Amino acid sequence: MNDRNTDTGIGAAVLRKEDRRFITGFGRYTDDINEVGQCHAVFLRSPYARADIGEIDVSAPLEMDGVIAILTGRDMAADGLGDLPCGWSVKSKDGSDMISAPHPPLASERVNYVGEPYGVVLAETRQAARDAAEAVATDFGELEAVVVLKTATSSEAIHEAVPQNRCYLWELGDEQATDAAFQNAAHVVTLELTNNRIIPNAIEPRAALATHNPASDEITLYTTSQNPHLARLILSAFVGLSPEHKLRLIAPDVGGGFGSKIFVYPEETTVAWAARRIARPVKWAADRSESFLTDAHGRDHLSRVELALDADGQFLGLRVRTTANLGAYLSLFAASVPTYLYGTLLAGQYRTPAIHVEVEGVYTNTVPVDAVRGAGRPEATYVVERIVEVAARQLGIDPVELRRRNMIQPDQFPYQTPVALVYDTGNYQASLDRALDAIDYGGFPARRAASEAAGKKRGLGFACYIEACGLAPSQLAISLGAGVGLYESGEVRVNPTGSVTVFTGSHSHGQGHETTFAQIVSDRLGVPFDDVEVVHGDTGRVEFGLGTYGSRSVAVGGSALVVAADKVIAKGKLIAAHMLKADPAAIDFESGEFSVRDSNQSLSFGEVAFAAYVPADYPEDLEPGLSEKAFYDPENFTFPAGTHIAEVEIDPQTGVTEVVAFVAVDDFGEVINPMIVEGQVHGGIAQGIGQALLEHGVYDDQGQLITGSYMDYCMPRADDLPDFDVDTTITPCTHNPLGVKGCGEAGAIGSPAAVMNAITDALGTEEITMPATSEKVWRICRGD
Amino acid sequence: MRYAAPTTTREAAALIAKAKGRAFVLAGGTDLLVRMKIGTIEPELVVDIKRIPATQSITKSATGFRIGAGVPTAAMGENNALKKAWPGVVEAANLIGSDQIQNRCTIVGNLCNASPAADSVPALIAAGAKAAIVGPRGRRTVAVDKIVTGPGTTSLKKGEFIEAITLPRPPPRSGDAYLRFIPRTEMDIAVVGAGVSLTLGPNGVVKKARVTLGAVAPTVVLVPAAARAITGTRLEDVALAKLAAACEAACNPIDDMRGTIEYRTEVAGVLARRAAKIAYQRAGGN
Ligand SMILES: Cc1cc2nc3c(=O)[nH]c(=O)nc-3n(C[C@H](O)[C@H](O)[C@H](O)COP(=O)(O)OP(=O)(O)OC[C@H]3O[C@@H](n4cnc5c(N)ncnc54)[C@H](O)[C@@H]3O)c2cc1C
Repeated sequence: MNDRNTDTGIGAAVLRKEDRRFITGFGRYTDDINEVGQCHAVFLRSPYARADIGEIDVSAPLEMDGVIAILTGRDMAADGLGDLPCGWSVKSKDGSDMISAPHPPLASERVNYVGEPYGVVLAETRQAARDAAEAVATDFGELEAVVVLKTATSSEAIHEAVPQNRCYLWELGDEQATDAAFQNAAHVVTLELTNNRIIPNAIEPRAALATHNPASDEITLYTTSQNPHLARLILSAFVGLSPEHKLRLIAPDVGGGFGSKIFVYPEETTVAWAARRIARPVKWAADRSESFLTDAHGRDHLSRVELALDADGQFLGLRVRTTANLGAYLSLFAASVPTYLYGTLLAGQYRTPAIHVEVEGVYTNTVPVDAVRGAGRPEATYVVERIVEVAARQLGIDPVELRRRNMIQPDQFPYQTPVALVYDTGNYQASLDRALDAIDYGGFPARRAASEAAGKKRGLGFACYIEACGLAPSQLAISLGAGVGLYESGEVRVNPTGSVTVFTGSHSHGQGHETTFAQIVSDRLGVPFDDVEVVHGDTGRVEFGLGTYGSRSVAVGGSALVVAADKVIAKGKLIAAHMLKADPAAIDFESGEFSVRDSNQSLSFGEVAFAAYVPADYPEDLEPGLSEKAFYDPENFTFPAGTHIAEVEIDPQTGVTEVVAFVAVDDFGEVINPMIVEGQVHGGIAQGIGQALLEHGVYDDQGQLITGSYMDYCMPRADDLPDFDVDTTITPCTHNPLGVKGCGEAGAIGSPAAVMNAITDALGTEEITMPATSEKVWRICRGD
Repeated sequence: MRYAAPTTTREAAALIAKAKGRAFVLAGGTDLLVRMKIGTIEPELVVDIKRIPATQSITKSATGFRIGAGVPTAAMGENNALKKAWPGVVEAANLIGSDQIQNRCTIVGNLCNASPAADSVPALIAAGAKAAIVGPRGRRTVAVDKIVTGPGTTSLKKGEFIEAITLPRPPPRSGDAYLRFIPRTEMDIAVVGAGVSLTLGPNGVVKKARVTLGAVAPTVVLVPAAARAITGTRLEDVALAKLAAACEAACNPIDDMRGTIEYRTEVAGVLARRAAKIAYQRAGGN
């Protein structure tokens, strides 16, 4: 590890700046903030998965102590607020547009999932609001709910506008070529897969606090958002809450998101609307039960996968049919997750020449399903890496050997896949080799024999994953249906004394941007790390931004800062040239010094910064000031890739599966802060192992969430996890100035497939779904 | 609510006996405070017994050990003589919660909270522990397995509380063990806990045994049939199979999404076998 005192530049494992406030209790989360005169909101939520809303009797609760107002979806509709939109539109294979069901922030006529808000109680205290909410008497006309994904398209339509509950039937790839590949195949391997529904569980529940200033007509909304600018855009342009320049969103410290805080939800929308309506600041903070019920869930796919191989085990074609649960409404990114973030990744690390995927996006009476860490890419990896492992077993080829035979070679980049993407660079063999060494692949048979001698079963599983990160080139994204560009903005503002305030449109909710981004700018400008402050998460301070998701922050947001910093240097050269009476073209900049080439004349960064704000006899064409902005739009996705290997040991008498070793060798391109990267990988693996072994969001057939608390939804903990053996290989990204690819999701993408490949290896059957609970494993062990 | 912290047993007993509403003894508070905070109980009086010297120590005598009702389980883990004599009891007590919880919680609190899944109780019952009870009508001593009568209820009478738990001095060639199983599909509620205490006769044959199961029925159960299955054996496979079968027969678990009856029942047998083997080894058998 680098010594943090002597090295704080790119590549140094600098301790995180932000941790000082987090571990000393000075973090400021939305619920820590209070406004004078604030009142508290508690939502009226549907107890039914599908029902018509009849009369809502609020007379008794309105009389209760401390109750200020009770507003319903009907009031909101009367005020003309618009629906919550889906930001991405997908076309069906027949060319028709997807069918987006209307999604009012508060339901007014019909509720479509348990927990859906249809009104809000505003009271002096949270407790008073809660008591009053319980006293509201609503007549519901309960309707039959559509809960089971498998039969959803043959059930009654949930939304009038959506026959068969089908939002879209999307395809990608060449169907004919794929069919032909299967006709010529020596082997065809088939697998039915379930990707279990997961609940994101950020440590900080969602919250919002809104204030309306009647003099300026400005609304200030503190909210737990991963992308406050995007949320503001949606709230003003689509929902019509208030004009964009009269709406300030602040996402202060945010305690984790994992995707769930990308989206614009009913609650913050309602809180902001209500604050203006009742002329009081309004605060809402979810309790844990509300988080379980109403945060967008993730995954929930059923897939049928077929792989065609020739006699030598070369992949000829891959055919995938997936049914994806979208929940009751389309959440902000929902349409894109099982399509463009999934189907495009099905080539994996391999040269499979023909791929065809069809995805049926389906509505059900469950909470909306949207992006959760990895979003689409864990599902794709699960499909590809499970079928490859099964193919190896069925053909009797070593799983490493089968992968090697089909991997894209290092000299084949840039590589055009049959599913739209062009991988710019990579070296998959290098990560695989390193991972095999780390796990001691050669020693596995002996370890397995030792386990068997002790009455245990042992298995080893691989996942050689690929992901597309750094979302993304705007032009490509917009052509594929994105409603916004996917660039990022940054500003490097040099203060007169030479310290630097950096503004980024990225948002940190645990990732450590304040450290990583300060390293980038400090490295570029040669100013001390401690002299760089990073500001994010406030539309009133940061010009614009698209926020943090899809492992995009460093690749896109970090690159924007490099471009802005380079503009600062260019401007600084003009000022230095003026001060030193030299030709600007003869000014060099290095390590925080401006110097005249081939001379001993130089100025420090601080001297130039000061002169920028004290402009003595500046020429007409030199503006004072030293502050520059940039919008960076990448030309391609980045493609992190790597090999994850899980080794498990199973106690057949209890069914307990222990992950005894986990190796992750990832290629994230250049690494800015290896400690932070390692932390991101650890967290991702923990979530992936959680999905594979423990986590499962379950609705009963009435559409009641029966895993709505930590008693029933099992989160991974330290004692469920081994020490991770984490390493990186590097092929720098070819198209961004830092050579970085992004690391936030990789752990969650590779690990579920690796763990399930290990468990099925140990058990000798593919007939087990995630989560592989001890009871499921136990039943297989006793031959049920 | 009133809070009192008396310094003698007699004073504590008087306070509890005279309380008008519901009175609760406060030991570590790791159950009591949780229940007060979520509002399932609203005590009129809370009597903190940790200021009473008689509840604060572990003493060893010729007849065995006396563990005061205020002794945190962490202190049990630091008492070498106790650990040597009753390793199973100590390991059960040191499975409760976490280090932080163990710095507060007590085995008496664990017992009187009367949860079917209380970890230390199967080990205490297997060990033949007794409770020293103080009450308005003086003192009495009762076997630990007679204290809990159902989930959340005890046989303690109004005004009574437990001053200490006593453990006999184990005969030579004795051993005990406790194992618990929490399948990770849920939070930490044991699906089964198995306690075994046994004494060997000549040639490594089990002379006497006690087998208990936690979490598989409304109270911790003593399973005499399981003890009989291994008595007179050297824990050969046949004996262990009989032990497991007896334990399975004693199970009356609930069926829920966290675990089926079938699974809970069979795993109870597995755990009991494993605990028996450990106890056997500790007793010097091999
Ligand atoms: C985070 C956490 C994890 C836990 N994990 C476990 C676990 O793994 N296994 C487990 O078994 N339990 C667990 N528990 C429950 C609890 O910690 C134990 O039951 C503990 O042993 C209770 O002891 P205490 O001294 O804190 O009891 P208290 O809370 O002080 O008392 C519990 C009950 O016993 C009564 N009582 C206490 N002392 C006496 C006395 N001398 N005479 C009569 N009545 C008395 C009290 O009035 C109260 O009703 C956990 C609790 C928490 C908060």
